[in-house]
Amino acid sequence: MLVRNILEESVQKFGEVKAVKWLKKKEISERSYYEIMENAASVRKGLLAEGFEGKHIALIGTSSVEWIESYLGIITGCTTAVPLDAALPCEDLVDLINRSDCAALFLSPKHRPYLEVFLANCPGLQKVWMLQEEVEDVPEKVYSINELRNIGNNASKDAACPDAEDIATIIFTSGTTGKSKGVMLTQKNLASNVEAVKISAEPGTVMLSVLPIHHAFCLVMDWLKGFSQGATLCINDSLLHMVRNMSIFKPDIMLMVPMMIETIYKRLAASDPAIPKQILAEKVFGGKLHTIFTGGAHLDPYYIEYFAQYGIQILEGYGMSECSPVISNNTPENNKPGSIGKPLENVEVRFENGEILVRGTSVMKGYYQMPKETQETLTDGWLHTGDKGYMDEDGYLFINGRVKNLIILSNGENVSPEEIENKLALNPLVGEVIVTGEKNGLTARIYPEQAVVEAKALDAEAVKGLLQAFLDKYNQNQPTYRQITGLIVRKNPFIRSTTKKIKRQDALIDEPLA
Amino acid sequence: MSQEMEFKNIVAQYSKVAPEEMTNEMRFREDLGFSSLDFMSFLGELEDTFDIELEENEVMKIVTLGEALQLLENLQ
Repeated sequence: MLVRNILEESVQKFGEVKAVKWLKKKEISERSYYEIMENAASVRKGLLAEGFEGKHIALIGTSSVEWIESYLGIITGCTTAVPLDAALPCEDLVDLINRSDCAALFLSPKHRPYLEVFLANCPGLQKVWMLQEEVEDVPEKVYSINELRNIGNNASKDAACPDAEDIATIIFTSGTTGKSKGVMLTQKNLASNVEAVKISAEPGTVMLSVLPIHHAFCLVMDWLKGFSQGATLCINDSLLHMVRNMSIFKPDIMLMVPMMIETIYKRLAASDPAIPKQILAEKVFGGKLHTIFTGGAHLDPYYIEYFAQYGIQILEGYGMSECSPVISNNTPENNKPGSIGKPLENVEVRFENGEILVRGTSVMKGYYQMPKETQETLTDGWLHTGDKGYMDEDGYLFINGRVKNLIILSNGENVSPEEIENKLALNPLVGEVIVTGEKNGLTARIYPEQAVVEAKALDAEAVKGLLQAFLDKYNQNQPTYRQITGLIVRKNPFIRSTTKKIKRQDALIDEPLA
Repeated sequence: MSQEMEFKNIVAQYSKVAPEEMTNEMRFREDLGFSSLDFMSFLGELEDTFDIELEENEVMKIVTLGEALQLLENLQ
C-alpha cells in the first residue's frame, strides 16, 4: 500500500464525509473527502503537465486546506514534498530551499514579503504558486494555486503511481553539528507508519490539528492517519486560539506535544475549584474530547492522572522524523503510563550501550546529500535514535537519557545548541557561550570577552544589560523554540578538556573568582 | 475589579508569581516562567476577556508585563 492507495480508498469509503474544516472570517468552511482529493489530483496533474516530474517541491506556510491539498498532490505523484518551517527566518528558508534542490515552491500569502528574496537567491526555483485563489502584482514565475489546478484539470495525463522506494518527502530536523538535516522518507516509510499505528476511529471523528504542519508527527499522524480513518480534520488557525477553537470544533481526539498539555493543565489548575469538573472540561476542551495522543518529548505521568479526572485519556508515544515518525505508542488496549508504549509491529528494537536502535519499514532512507551523517546514524538498517532506554518485562519501552547532544524541548522541538552558539558568538562581547536547555526554553551561559569589557570599562551590570539587549534582538528574528529565555553571565571561562574543548557537561559549574 | 487586576489574575494562572508581587518590568518568559505556549494561550485569553483582537506578528514582540498592559490599554 502507498499513500496514494490509502487516500483513494478513503475517497471510496468516505467520499461525502467532511475531510477538512477551517475558519474563514470566523465562519466554518469545509470540504469533503471527494473535494479534497479532487483538488490534490488537480495539483498532481498540474505538476506533471508543468514538467516537474521527479522534482523536489517546497511548501512554506502554516496549516491551511490549500497547503494540505498541495502536499497530497505532490506526494501522490512522482514528486517529492519538502515542507519547511514557516517560522524560520527568511535566510534560513533560502538555505533550505537551495540545499534540498527545490525546483518549485508553494508559498502562503502571509509569506509574500519573502517572495522576492527567494526568487533572487534560489536559482533552482522555476515556479512559485501562492496558496491563494488569486494573485495580483506578482513577479514573473509566480502564480496562484488556482492557475496550477486549472492546468491540472485540463491535462489529459495523470502522474503514474510512485514506487514504494521513491522519496515522498524530505523533512528537516536539527543536526547535532549545527546544520539541519533533510530526512528522506519513502512512500513505503509513510504508508507503513500509517498502517502500523493501530488506532481506529469512526468516520467523521473530529480531530483538531494544532501541531506545526511541517513536522512528521502532524503530517503523518494527524493528516495521513486521520484521512485513512475518515476523520474530519479541523485546522487550528493560531496557537492563540487553541482553547477557543476546541469550543468551536468540539474535537473527539487531538495530538499534542507535552508543552500544550502543560499549558492547559495550568488553566485547569487555576480554575475555581467550585466549578464541577464536567463543566470545566466542556469550557476548556469543547465537551467531546476523550483522547490526547502525545509525543515529541517526555511527559510527566502526573498529567496523565490529572487529565483522567476530566474524562480524558492521554496516550504517550515515541518517535522521530527519521522513523516516519512513530516507533512505539500506548493504545487504549495496551497502556502503561510513564512508558512510551510497545514498539509498532513493523519495528524491531535493540539496545547498544543503552541506546535504543530501531529497524523496520518506517526507517528513513537517509539524510539528503549527507552520506557521512547517514552512515553515522544508520548501520545495516539499524537507526541510532540518540535516546537511551530499556524495555520492561511486558514489552513496554521506557526512555531514561540522551546520547546525542540535542536539546529536546517540551514542545517537541529538537534544538542544536551549537547552531545557536555559533550565531551568538558573532557578538564581540561574547567571549565563550554554551546554550543549555531547561524544560521550557533555552539559557545562554556567556563568558564575556574580557578585552571588550576592559576597553569599554564595562561593569557587571552594563555587561548584562548589553548582552540582554543583544539576546532580545536575536530573539525577535527567531521561531519561539530557538529563542533564548535565560541569560547567565559567567564569572569565569568554561572548564575545558585536555584537548581544549569546552566540557559541555560541566557548563553549569562556575567557580567563584579567586 | 480593575482592568489591571483582572489582567494580572490571568497572568497568575500561568505563573508562580502572585498578582500583588508583579511589576511592569517583569519579563513573561524569564521572570514569570511562561513557556512559549503559555504566552500564546494567555494572549488568547486576553482577547476573549477584554473583547479585543491581537495581531499575532505584533504581540510576539512583547517581552514584559508592562508592554502587554500598554497594548491592552491602546486597543481599548
